Amino acid sequence: MSGIDVDLAVNGLITGLFYALMAIGLSLIFGILKIVNFAHGEFYMVGAYAYTLIALALGVPVWVALPLAFVVGAALGWLTERTLMRPLYAGYTSWGLMRDEYAVIVTFGLSLFLINLVDKVIGPYAYRGPPLVETSRIVLGPVLISGHRLLAAGIAIAVIAITAALIKWSFWGQQIRAVSQNRLGASLAGIDTAKASAIVFMLSGGLAAFAGALLSPVINASPDVGVFPAIKSYIIVVLGGMGSVPGAIIASLALGVIESFGAVYLSYQYRDAFGLILLMLFLLFRPQGLFGEKGREV
Amino acid sequence: MTLLSVRGVTKRYGGLVAVNNVSFDVAAGELVGLIGPNGSGKTTLLNILSGLADPDAGEILLDGKPCQGLTPEKLAHRGMMRMFQLTRVFRRMNVIDNLLVAGRALGLKPGEALDRARSLISELRLDAVAALDAGQLSGGQMKLLEFGVCFMVPPRIALLDEPFAAVHPTMKEIMGGFIRSRHENGQTFLLVSHDMPVVVELCPRAICMNAGAVVIDAPTRAVLADARVIEAYLGGQAA
Amino acid sequence: MTTQSPPPSRASAQLSNTKTTVEFRVALAAMAIVALLPLGVGNAYWLGVLIVSMYFAILAGGWNLLAGYAGQFSLAPATFAMIGAYTTGLLNHYYGVPPLLGIVAAIVVSGLVGLLLGRAVLRLAGPYLALTTLSFAEIMRLVAANSIDITRGDLGLGVAGLLDSRVGWYYLFLGALTVLLVLFYLLLRSKAGLFLQAIRDDEVAARRAGVDVVFWKTAAFALSAAASGFAGALYAHFAELVTPELGLIAQTGLILSMVVIGGMGTLAGPIIAAFLVYVLSEWLRDVGGYQLVVFAALVVIFARFFREGLWGLAMAAVRRWRQA
Ligand SMILES: Nc1ncnc2c1ncn2[C@@H]1O[C@H](COP(=O)(O)OP(=O)(O)OP(=O)(O)O)[C@@H](O)[C@H]1O
Ligand SMILES: [Mg+2]
Repeated sequence: MSGIDVDLAVNGLITGLFYALMAIGLSLIFGILKIVNFAHGEFYMVGAYAYTLIALALGVPVWVALPLAFVVGAALGWLTERTLMRPLYAGYTSWGLMRDEYAVIVTFGLSLFLINLVDKVIGPYAYRGPPLVETSRIVLGPVLISGHRLLAAGIAIAVIAITAALIKWSFWGQQIRAVSQNRLGASLAGIDTAKASAIVFMLSGGLAAFAGALLSPVINASPDVGVFPAIKSYIIVVLGGMGSVPGAIIASLALGVIESFGAVYLSYQYRDAFGLILLMLFLLFRPQGLFGEKGREV
Repeated sequence: MTLLSVRGVTKRYGGLVAVNNVSFDVAAGELVGLIGPNGSGKTTLLNILSGLADPDAGEILLDGKPCQGLTPEKLAHRGMMRMFQLTRVFRRMNVIDNLLVAGRALGLKPGEALDRARSLISELRLDAVAALDAGQLSGGQMKLLEFGVCFMVPPRIALLDEPFAAVHPTMKEIMGGFIRSRHENGQTFLLVSHDMPVVVELCPRAICMNAGAVVIDAPTRAVLADARVIEAYLGGQAA
Repeated sequence: MTTQSPPPSRASAQLSNTKTTVEFRVALAAMAIVALLPLGVGNAYWLGVLIVSMYFAILAGGWNLLAGYAGQFSLAPATFAMIGAYTTGLLNHYYGVPPLLGIVAAIVVSGLVGLLLGRAVLRLAGPYLALTTLSFAEIMRLVAANSIDITRGDLGLGVAGLLDSRVGWYYLFLGALTVLLVLFYLLLRSKAGLFLQAIRDDEVAARRAGVDVVFWKTAAFALSAAASGFAGALYAHFAELVTPELGLIAQTGLILSMVVIGGMGTLAGPIIAAFLVYVLSEWLRDVGGYQLVVFAALVVIFARFFREGLWGLAMAAVRRWRQA
């Protein structure tokens, strides 16, 4: 491995960490409701704005603005679940058939709504978020990295670890996994499935917003800034096996590295198409993802 | 004359042998009961016969021609028509349209299909709900509708998976009468049911499965009196 | 029957054929009104708005056939418009193929691509289908935008015009829309209409009933794509420019909102809604630019509370009025 390769690998992994913040939430939502949230990128976007505006307009320190961005994202996730996701499971039996269509329509509609609302209310201009630290370039051997990015990566690792631990060991984490495996069975066992869904949406809204906040000094907040991270997280969730959190984390890191190398060694022009082609191929030939088992047919 | 011939059909799901070397013949015009405890492989066998699952081994002949591995739609055209244990209707289409789908798909002319649909609706006493979407019907009415779908074009053989389960006695009457009258006119049936009195009443011959294999294939009364059958049911879940 | 199930309503007391015929007549009446509009609207700007409305009406109608009737929730309708536009655009730009021939080629090419896509996604449903078609859409758009040597990328490809008069274009689009409306009507009134809806409701039950699901699903993809490609090709020569923007996901969002607001799975609803949505959006643009916010909100509200769309609301109103 040459020095450039090490640099590419490290930077790819760091990008992968940010992808993971997005993808974990998307995967949890798929797990619990069996839908793809097409408004996931807008949670990210709202987080980027929340952090930037709270820090810049209100003059609040970045270390307060960062958790506040999480809170704003979580609130948005919660609101989304309460107002729009209920029909997916709350007894609307005749909705059974329309379920998938409904989920695509409302999340797609919500995405358009949020993008255009922000565009009108805050404006189409990009806002650069304040970096967590002002150090510019740090050189670590062959790796060149900005202070903010390094710090943000560290924070991302911590948040991912905490989230994974919560899902694995906390009370609600176990309930969420139970509902994801078998909603009916879980509800018969006395688990509050509605609450589990609400928690999942809060968590994934918060995580996506957090990713947006962390990246806002690098990728400026703008109304459609969430579109690309969202597409990345679709790819990751498919690669990692829809609904699997460990799968999502591994696939995030993998995609970060693949893209980082692909852009240099394959084609910069088409770098955004690689992941999508991978996504299509997987859905067509291996819908259970890299790690998943093929499910029992109905 | 043998209409359906099942020869050594086997189906495995992982380590589980859901259907184990099953063989039997059904002659034209017969009404055969298929019984067995929960999980004994009856539905899986019907899935294989109707093309929804591929057998791992064995052969199926319909009218003397092999037909395993054909798609469900091909089999429908060849007269293998199947009713599901968990009712399947077109929930956002009305009752008449539900029937028309089968009629038109199996080659009836528009007018012909409409006439048939109308007469089946009155035979199955669905007149009052004929204009409702199938999703608005009660569970029993849906079963009746599915019956109708299977008989829009009289099949070579009708495979019925627990048509009487969780159905009101009046509707059971309607279905029983429907099966009996068709049978008298020469219709062939394979009828899966847990309702022994009905099986005794309707089916002269019965096949009992347990743990995927055929335990006995004999006149119904003999089957019900057989020690192995009693053992299979008392033994609870297939061993 | 349980006490909860509603009494037979008058609308559903009809055969679905009759329902389709009613929808067709209403849609034709709407087309007749549209045909008279140029007499009152002399303004070239508003004529242009109506022309673009018709472009979207074709797209909405085509996508509704696939998503509303056959239940295949593809997120690529705008992509097929883009494919159609580039087919005729490239043929014209590089080989001087006349527009009319190019449009025919566009219909064929987009239909074929739709057929291939339909074949590929045959076994996918729900979120998997949505994701696959979405990535297909983005890949196509990225390829169009990045193949700068061929397509000139975001700058766009200049193509020949076809008609000089705006009114001429107006009636050309109206003719195209009406032809498609009639075609869709004939299709839906035939057994195809039954089969597509059966596939939407329960694929396994459809196969059991003898419906050739592979054929009809693929056909729905191909037809819907061909209609979109046709619209895109017409639009290319109208705008005399083809850009990758035709295939933006936001365009698909607009199409989706028209269909949802109009009423999925009805012949007239989406087509009429295309006019309402687009004309209203131009008007909202003038009064503050809130058009997309409003439509996105409407989509969510309609999906959540009025799933039958405007058409369903109108039918319910008619029923109440008749009963009164
Ligand atoms: N797709 C599948 N994958 C794995 N196992 C399956 C599958 N389908 C059936 N089985 C297993 O095969 C066995 C036979 O099931 P089947 O549904 O055929 O039983 P059955 O006789 O119809 O029972 P019941 O009377 O309860 O309807 C069961 O143990 C079941 O769990
Ligand atoms: Mg069974």
